[in-house]
Amino acid sequence: MIVRPPSDALRGSLDLLVLKTLSLQPMHGWGISQRVQQISDGVLEVNQGSLYPALQRLEKAGLITSEWGTTDNNRRARYYALTAAGRRALGAELESWRRFAAGLEAVLRTS
Amino acid sequence: MSLFHAARARVRLLLARRDAEARMDEEFRFHLDMEADRLVREAGLAPQEARRQARRRARLAFGHAERHREELRDGRGPSWPGGLALDLKLGVRMLVKYPGITLVGGLAFAFAIWVAAGAFEFAGQVLFPRLPLPDADRIVALARWDAAAGRAQPQALHDLAAWRTELRSVVELGAYRLARRNLVTGDGESLPTEVAEISASAFRVARARPLLGRALGEADERPDAPAVAVIGHDVWRARFGADSGVAGRTVRLGRTPTTVVGVMPEGFAFPVAQSLWVPLRLSPLDHPRGAGPALTVFGRLAPGATLEEAQAELTAWGRRAAADFPTTHRHLRPRVMPYARSVALVEGSELLATRASYAFFVMLVVLICGNVALLLFARAATREGELAIRSALGASRGRIVAQLVAEALVLGGVAAAVGLGAAGLGVRLLVGAIEAHWGERLPFWFHAGLSPWTVCYAVGLTLLGAAIAGVLPGLKVTRGLQGRLRRTAAGAGGPTFGGIWTAVIVAQIAVTLGFPVIAYHVTRDAADTRAMVADFPAAEFLSARIALDHEPLPGGDTSSAAFVVRRAATVRELERRLRAEPGVVGAALAERLPRMEHPPRMVEVDAGGAAPEDPRFPGGYRTSSSAVDADYFDVLGAPVRAGRAFHAGDLAPGSRVVIVNESFVRLVLGGRNPIGRHLRHRYATPGPRSGDWEPGPWHEIVGVVPDLGMSKATDPKVAGFYHPLAPDVTGPLHVAVHVRGGDAAAFAPRLRAVAAAVDPTLRVDAVARMDTLGDAGIAFAMFWVRLLAVVSAVALLLSLAGIYAVMAFTVARRTREIGVRLALGASRRRLVVSVFARPLTQVGLGVAAGGVLAAITGDSATPAALAGALGYAVLMFGVCLLACVVPTRRALRVEPIVAMRAD
Repeated sequence: MIVRPPSDALRGSLDLLVLKTLSLQPMHGWGISQRVQQISDGVLEVNQGSLYPALQRLEKAGLITSEWGTTDNNRRARYYALTAAGRRALGAELESWRRFAAGLEAVLRTS
Repeated sequence: MSLFHAARARVRLLLARRDAEARMDEEFRFHLDMEADRLVREAGLAPQEARRQARRRARLAFGHAERHREELRDGRGPSWPGGLALDLKLGVRMLVKYPGITLVGGLAFAFAIWVAAGAFEFAGQVLFPRLPLPDADRIVALARWDAAAGRAQPQALHDLAAWRTELRSVVELGAYRLARRNLVTGDGESLPTEVAEISASAFRVARARPLLGRALGEADERPDAPAVAVIGHDVWRARFGADSGVAGRTVRLGRTPTTVVGVMPEGFAFPVAQSLWVPLRLSPLDHPRGAGPALTVFGRLAPGATLEEAQAELTAWGRRAAADFPTTHRHLRPRVMPYARSVALVEGSELLATRASYAFFVMLVVLICGNVALLLFARAATREGELAIRSALGASRGRIVAQLVAEALVLGGVAAAVGLGAAGLGVRLLVGAIEAHWGERLPFWFHAGLSPWTVCYAVGLTLLGAAIAGVLPGLKVTRGLQGRLRRTAAGAGGPTFGGIWTAVIVAQIAVTLGFPVIAYHVTRDAADTRAMVADFPAAEFLSARIALDHEPLPGGDTSSAAFVVRRAATVRELERRLRAEPGVVGAALAERLPRMEHPPRMVEVDAGGAAPEDPRFPGGYRTSSSAVDADYFDVLGAPVRAGRAFHAGDLAPGSRVVIVNESFVRLVLGGRNPIGRHLRHRYATPGPRSGDWEPGPWHEIVGVVPDLGMSKATDPKVAGFYHPLAPDVTGPLHVAVHVRGGDAAAFAPRLRAVAAAVDPTLRVDAVARMDTLGDAGIAFAMFWVRLLAVVSAVALLLSLAGIYAVMAFTVARRTREIGVRLALGASRRRLVVSVFARPLTQVGLGVAAGGVLAAITGDSATPAALAGALGYAVLMFGVCLLACVVPTRRALRVEPIVAMRAD
């Protein structure tokens, strides 16, 4: 699914993906997009153009922090990590996403 | 907690917006590299190809990121530092686009800053003087304060010797006393010069090295050492032609042959404003303790000592001295203070006047800021559409006001730079004017530069002014901007000029009407007195001040009684020789000459005066007086009009006669016959109790003379009387010389030569033609008048421009209304009347208020002044009329349908 310029719901899902990915371990933006792609088996492809704005937005909201680091092949990259607030927000987002999906499922089942 | 993180992140991003963009660029680059690597690894592409593909994908994807960067830059995100730069750039563009407003507003602003900075700098130099010497704050002066008498006791000769040996915290102690002595150079030219008899340590305290030769040394202070002197740069240049071989030359100081041993560099005038230094040769052995000549003691704080420590040591010394020498030192409290504090500047009425003018200028600055605000408002209002759209696009109100403030700041910044640049010139002008007025040089630490504090003050004023001039219009224009956008599109009105703005316009007009009228009055007064024709041909007279040095004749009596006798004899001899000169018609001596400031005297008149008494001095009249030679009035060619003149018998001690002038007869005696009446000084001798004063003996009035001018020329008709000049007078003496034919001023060198021949220590100062006396005072007054005129002109220009702009704008706004009403069939005349009504009412109010203002401040209204004021009022009306007519004509000429479409 190519993510076009997102509407609110889709933007929310991008945030969710990022938060969930970062909850496993801190990583840089490239790593996040690769991880999402791998785990979803290529179904979800995070648009680079919306990933970084999302990361800055989440940082501004205080849900993640960032700092410069070095990768394995000695490149300088910005590593993002989840904060305590981010962890709480992740839980809340998961909750609301599951409710949204359940509601959607319920409507689609009745046809 | 997330709030804290959010705040912290926001602050960080706010402060590092540029970092944020750079960071994003770097992350994108990293992402690109990783993507290229992946393509190489998984799709087996060549690195070059991989990079190209990665970049293409990035381009497609990052379109979205670009928008984010735009958001970063706009008002949504943390952006105000970048925004400010943009606003300033726009501000500069606005300045260039509206050159009229820029020029006028900028000129006014610059003028206000110039005045404020100049006044601040000068006041700073008076209140917080900075000596231009190395380590100047460690140079101190010591004073002996008599606690019982409440004043300083300058007879410090013995204490100086004691302090030199006993004080540890103050070193290089020395003393000086000042004098004016005749300096006679080799060509015989004799001119009075400011001399300091000073200790040799002065040159070490000031850390000054001579330009040529040597400075004074301790050896020169010995009483048997030869007479030497060090000359200043200005004397070297003027009297010796900057001759580099001047060291070793012999000159005469008064009667004493003196050898010049050195020349000091330019700008050195320690202790105050001196040009020649001789060693101080005083021995404590010659005088009893507590007596001796008046000296000023100076020194330098020892390395590591503070002023407080020095004061403590000095106080302890004072207590010991009070115990050791109770008769002389019981009440003395020695003090140490920064050197410049010891030179008290005269706080005369002149400074008071400048304080009043300072308040006036502050008022002016406020008015100018209001004026600039008005102009900027008019300009902002014409840009209302643009501002409304900006607001619709999301700019907050604060943002738009910030933009307007930035524009005002640009204008203010440029103006302040110009104003500050000229402020140095202003201070120089002021210093020059004051020196001309007082007739002597200011202390050497007054300079024409600007201190950093003045610059800070000017910057602060600029910011304040820009804030006022930007915020007020900004707030007004942006109020209800959203609603107005809708209404403007629909065609309803624009920002209206409410109460405050009307008041500002009215005040503008009133003040610009009042200023020139006031200025005209002041100018006319000064011009009148300048043209005051004295009752004698003043242009043919030369006047000079005569003084004799206390330098005693060798082997002569040094007591003050002998000096008085010698002075009287010398002065009479001068008068005799002058009268014998072929070019002289007559010469006379007097305590004060016409058009000089005569000291005021309170007198009582027998049988009471006819005129109302001065309420401040019950029973007395405030008059002026002078003591004059017996033939004074004949020499001046203003003979006695009634009664008799003085004769030789009046000079005897014990005679009590006076001659009064016509103003005295008119003002004090009410025009009645003065001959035979008596007057006496109200406060002649001190009475038994301190603060008490006894009246003097009665004097008989024996004659009346015309008014010769008993005050500086700005106050012509003063009641006064004349005493005969006693031979043993001790006060200042002036001589008036009636020169035969031609320019009286050409006689000046001859006058000096005659005086030098009579006695080389006879000083001839302030030589001037008698009709130019008091000109320095007039020049001073004219200086202020010219300043006022320039101020008025600027205010005038600005006001006219502002009024025109504002009124034209108001009327142009009503174009649509005019079109609609025309279409509905309104008569043109009624339309024009209704459009003109409000602006013309404002102008009328302003002119009326201005007229009241001018009437209050001006006193007499000559026909010329009235005509001028009337013409000026007509001019104002004309400008406002023009401001209304031009847009109205345009509005009336267009088709109604076009007018309705107009915006």
